[in-house]
Amino acid sequence: MENVPLSVTDAIALVNQTLEYAYPTVVVEGEVSSFKVNQGKFVFFDIKDSESSLGCFMMIFNLRVPLEDGMKIRVIARPTLTKWGKFSLTVRDIVPVGEGSIKRAFQLLKEKLDKEGLFAAERKRSLPYMPSRIGVISSTQAAGYGDFIKILSDRWGGMDIVVVHTQVQGADASRQIVSALKKLNELSEPVELIAVIRGGGSIDDLAVFNDELLIRAVAASRAPVISGVGHEQDETLIDFVADERGSTPSNVAERIVPDKRAVTDQLSGNIELLIAKMKHRVQVVHSHIELSLELAARSTVQSYERSFSRYAEMRRLLSELDPRRALMRGYSLMRTEKNGPVVTSADVGDTILIETKQALINAEVTDVNEK
Amino acid sequence: MSTKNENTISVNLKKLEQLMEWFDQDEFEIESAITKFDEAAKLADEIKLQLAGVENKITVLKQKTEQ
Repeated sequence: MENVPLSVTDAIALVNQTLEYAYPTVVVEGEVSSFKVNQGKFVFFDIKDSESSLGCFMMIFNLRVPLEDGMKIRVIARPTLTKWGKFSLTVRDIVPVGEGSIKRAFQLLKEKLDKEGLFAAERKRSLPYMPSRIGVISSTQAAGYGDFIKILSDRWGGMDIVVVHTQVQGADASRQIVSALKKLNELSEPVELIAVIRGGGSIDDLAVFNDELLIRAVAASRAPVISGVGHEQDETLIDFVADERGSTPSNVAERIVPDKRAVTDQLSGNIELLIAKMKHRVQVVHSHIELSLELAARSTVQSYERSFSRYAEMRRLLSELDPRRALMRGYSLMRTEKNGPVVTSADVGDTILIETKQALINAEVTDVNEK
Repeated sequence: MSTKNENTISVNLKKLEQLMEWFDQDEFEIESAITKFDEAAKLADEIKLQLAGVENKITVLKQKTEQ
């Protein structure tokens, strides 16, 4: 080898081959300096500690957390000698390290996505009531997943639960979750919602749920997404972008389905309500019938009273017209053979029958004078 | 393959809700109400049984990276 001259290109290729064989991937921790993005797609920065500095390069689409100078990060990278003879790390992934950097990265990304409107309240969709088919993204070995499934099954039944098992911490977790979201959204038989579940963890563990691509994938999900990551006090960006947030995995289960015991109680309440409505209706109908009968009875009595009163009046009138009443008062009736009971005049010599209260008298007319 | 409850619990709940709405009208006929009530009570019992008996079906899909 020493006797065979190499071209510069070959020499660089040889070094790179050796590096790739010896160190396919290195993980380096340090502080960011000289961060810049060229042409909107090439990312350059240095990673340094108190004594040394290394140049880093990456494509913008691999940059999943916001960077700024002074942040402490861990890079996952491939060591490379560039064609200009400069040693560089070609970065595949970056993870903020230390509470300060994680919080700063969180804050920067939150501000950026908020400005884009990804967290806006009007983007939020309602979860379906009583879903029959749901998607779940979680690690099936995690305690949080176990709690979620247990509470879900205690509360409700008859659902199809399609689970995509992913890592929920570590370098590849966010990529797996993005892929799981895609998978669930592309199922031929669609899910009605997607729950992203992870139990409690350190701020480093939960940083997976602050990944920019993951947040964008949640925002773009066809099915509404509910997040249940960490504990109530934990704050991750997936909680901001999700359509609904559960404080814990168990709380997510409570938000997705009603409690069958409450529904059963409600059913009994509904039937009791129907019985009460029917009783009320029967009472109303009964009251109507009673009222109708009362009105009919009152009308009959009134009609009878009117007839009776007319009868009494007629009797009184008839009684007043009775000629015997005149005889009782001292008047008398006269009859002639010629004119009968109506005597308006008579001729001399006629015989008149006079009826008084006490006697019938025959008399002869001796004189007639016109009035 | 599916244990979907769309033909069972949720549909029955919807039917029950419709029956309940019928009773909201001011002057319903008592004879029809008896028939509807029997129907509602039967549905409620059926739903209770379904709620008590039906389990969820869990399918775990594998990611390509795991295969």
